[in-house]
Amino acid sequence: MPMYQGNRCASEHALQNGEVDPAVKALEARQDEIMRKLYELKAAVEGLAKTVTTPDADLDLTVSSSLSSHSPSSSCSVLQGTADLNALLGQDLGALRDIVINANPAQPPLTLLVLHGLLCQRYRVLSTVHIHSSVSSVPPQLLSCLGPRHADSYIRQRFQLGFTLIWKDVPKLQMKFSVQNMCPIEGEANVARFLFRLLAPYPSDPALATLVDSWVDTAFFQLAEGSAKERAAVLRALNAALGRGSWLVGSELSLADIACYCCVLRSGPASSTPANVQRWLKSCDNLGLFGPTMALLQ
Amino acid sequence: MTKEEVQGAAQEEAQAQSKKALKKQQKEAEKAAKKAEKQAKLAAEEQSTEEDDFAKERYGVSAMVQSQQKLDRLLVRVQDLTADKAEQLIWVRARIHTSRAKGKQCFLVLRQQQFNVQALVAVGDRASKQMVKFAANVTKESIVDVEAVVKKVEQKIESCSQQDVELHVERIFVISQAEARLPLQLEDAVRPEGEADEEGRATVNQDTKLDNRVIDLRTTTSQAIFRLQSGVCQLFRDTLTKKGFVEIQTPKIISAASEGGANVFTVSYFKTSAYLAQSPQLYKQMCICADFDKVFCVGPVFRAEDSNTHRHLTEFVGLDIEMAFNYHYHEVIDSITDTMVQIFKGLRDNFQTEIQTVNKQYPSEPFKFLEPTLRLEYTEAVAMLRQAGVEMGDEDDLSTPNEKLLGRLVKEKYDTDFYVLDKYPLSVRPFYTMPDPSDPKYSNSYDMFMRGEEILSGAQRIHDAQLLTERASHHQIDLEKIKAYIDSFRYGAPPHGGGGIGLERVCMLYLGLHNVRQTSMFPRDPKRLTP
Repeated sequence: MPMYQGNRCASEHALQNGEVDPAVKALEARQDEIMRKLYELKAAVEGLAKTVTTPDADLDLTVSSSLSSHSPSSSCSVLQGTADLNALLGQDLGALRDIVINANPAQPPLTLLVLHGLLCQRYRVLSTVHIHSSVSSVPPQLLSCLGPRHADSYIRQRFQLGFTLIWKDVPKLQMKFSVQNMCPIEGEANVARFLFRLLAPYPSDPALATLVDSWVDTAFFQLAEGSAKERAAVLRALNAALGRGSWLVGSELSLADIACYCCVLRSGPASSTPANVQRWLKSCDNLGLFGPTMALLQ
Repeated sequence: MTKEEVQGAAQEEAQAQSKKALKKQQKEAEKAAKKAEKQAKLAAEEQSTEEDDFAKERYGVSAMVQSQQKLDRLLVRVQDLTADKAEQLIWVRARIHTSRAKGKQCFLVLRQQQFNVQALVAVGDRASKQMVKFAANVTKESIVDVEAVVKKVEQKIESCSQQDVELHVERIFVISQAEARLPLQLEDAVRPEGEADEEGRATVNQDTKLDNRVIDLRTTTSQAIFRLQSGVCQLFRDTLTKKGFVEIQTPKIISAASEGGANVFTVSYFKTSAYLAQSPQLYKQMCICADFDKVFCVGPVFRAEDSNTHRHLTEFVGLDIEMAFNYHYHEVIDSITDTMVQIFKGLRDNFQTEIQTVNKQYPSEPFKFLEPTLRLEYTEAVAMLRQAGVEMGDEDDLSTPNEKLLGRLVKEKYDTDFYVLDKYPLSVRPFYTMPDPSDPKYSNSYDMFMRGEEILSGAQRIHDAQLLTERASHHQIDLEKIKAYIDSFRYGAPPHGGGGIGLERVCMLYLGLHNVRQTSMFPRDPKRLTP
């Protein structure tokens, strides 16, 4: 065996006798590949079956795209649009572009976790979760909320974007990006806007853009923090809006949907919502973006 | 003038002189008599007062304790003097911290380590006037045995650690007397610098403190610092033992300099000379080669560096770790950083009073950290510094000011005082550092920082004799001198890495102090060998 210079991580187990027939290895690799393809096919079929049972839902594009190649650019098709990190965040100067989010474990930022999932489909994201010393402990599901560790996480240079979530005793969620050129961004809604722009541009129509912003604010101020009366009013408004189209703003999923989805489910059970809202929640579910995040609500 | 006349005159003169002398004598005698009378009177008075000093048996200077008798008397700790002991008659042994006599009563503050309590000696049916006078005259810092009734107080005593009770003294005996003149006053030694400037009060400069370390160590601040330091050692040992590490002892007298040749102390060794160990590294590595798998050691380390800075000592306590790993040296980083985090958590959770005490004199921000520890790579650090306007090459080492600046930048973004910087350029690291497998300019080495100052330097070590020889000759090191080191890797060596931290530096930086001498009990630097 070559001398260990730290070029492989510990994930693979040591070979007991050090000698394995290369032909066997190749066979194993082929078998793994076939199994992987089979699983993807199964997932795709399941996704299609869901869209059939809920006719109003758009065709689940994430599923179909996962059948194609694994390059990051093609795996995200829920949100179309060109996003060039250099144009959005400034020239890469050699340091990992690390988005640091300070969140209070009492209020996990569900929207941001959903957006994190989307970012991972688009870019090579180094995701890390830390506990700040101002917090004594957090539930285990909050430590794994960004998914399993990336196999390459020991080389930071290999990533386009860093997503560092720090559970910290903060009164208000806070995001820090470029400390020198940018003040910290406060509030989950504002951070969500920042992250969403890395995925897709805002609608070019100012009226639509304002509508998205307005729904995001409604979600965070009235659904998440409002009184029972306010929540009921928002649910009625959502129901009305969703009667006109399958998504809240325009013809495709937008930040408005993501924010409202998270805040609706945080404020109460899906079964207690009006019909259009329920249908829309199901369509969202079918996208497969929210599953792991919503598990945190339990 | 005739002869007689002259004689006569002379006689007269002499007579006059003797007369004067006589008068003088008489006067003196009178004075003496008066004095004697006075003394007699005083003595008589004293006798008379002594006679009515009903409390004669209740105070005094005890005979020196030579273990004449073994009393079963229970001495209560000052820290245990709380309201639930109210109305109990107890014995306490403590130092006189301050005393203040006021007419018929005397207030004492009795101190035991960092705890103190107010005590009152007042003329009454238990204490006489003489006893109060005696108590008031006991010198500061003397050790006394006091029998007293614990009394609850209505108003909290803000100046003492035991705020709810005071002691009403019934007996007081001096066990060991302090000299009246103290080289430094304890209250001066704990005064925060800012406060002294404002009120024109005295502070004690560091050299005076260190020259009189025994008294300086009695201060609440010093007591807290060294209790915390003991905690660091304890937590270090506990954490590593739990992780399956073995504590080892390594020799401090060595035959060859372990790290390069410079800055070692030479000592005479019979007919030849030897060196004082700069680091236990070679021995740690030999233990790994001897299949101990994971080892640590706590022991003195010597550096003959003539640097008179706030963070250099010529002798300090090294906490060293070395471990074999399976596939990637980040396993070592994870182990070390987790050990540090466990220490920080232990201090945060169990040493809050000590931290607060030190903060009273030396205010600082609480130490912040992340779990797991933040790891950045060297190239990122360089990019961050360049963004902040620093001009430096890719492979330049970090200067101390740049380390500090980087610490500030990291703190601002991640709000942590502790982080790891990984992947240093190979050229700035010692010859035994393993090169990076993908880029020969860099290496598998790391530094750890607390509040922007380096506390640990470590790396994956080369465990292959041939590569080690190559790297050593590249650094132009005399292969003959390190033959024993290289030979230890000839008989099969597991991949391994490690690092070492300085106990004093960790304590200093954790507490946010500004001089490592404050966290070294008896510091050794180029200018100080005593006490």
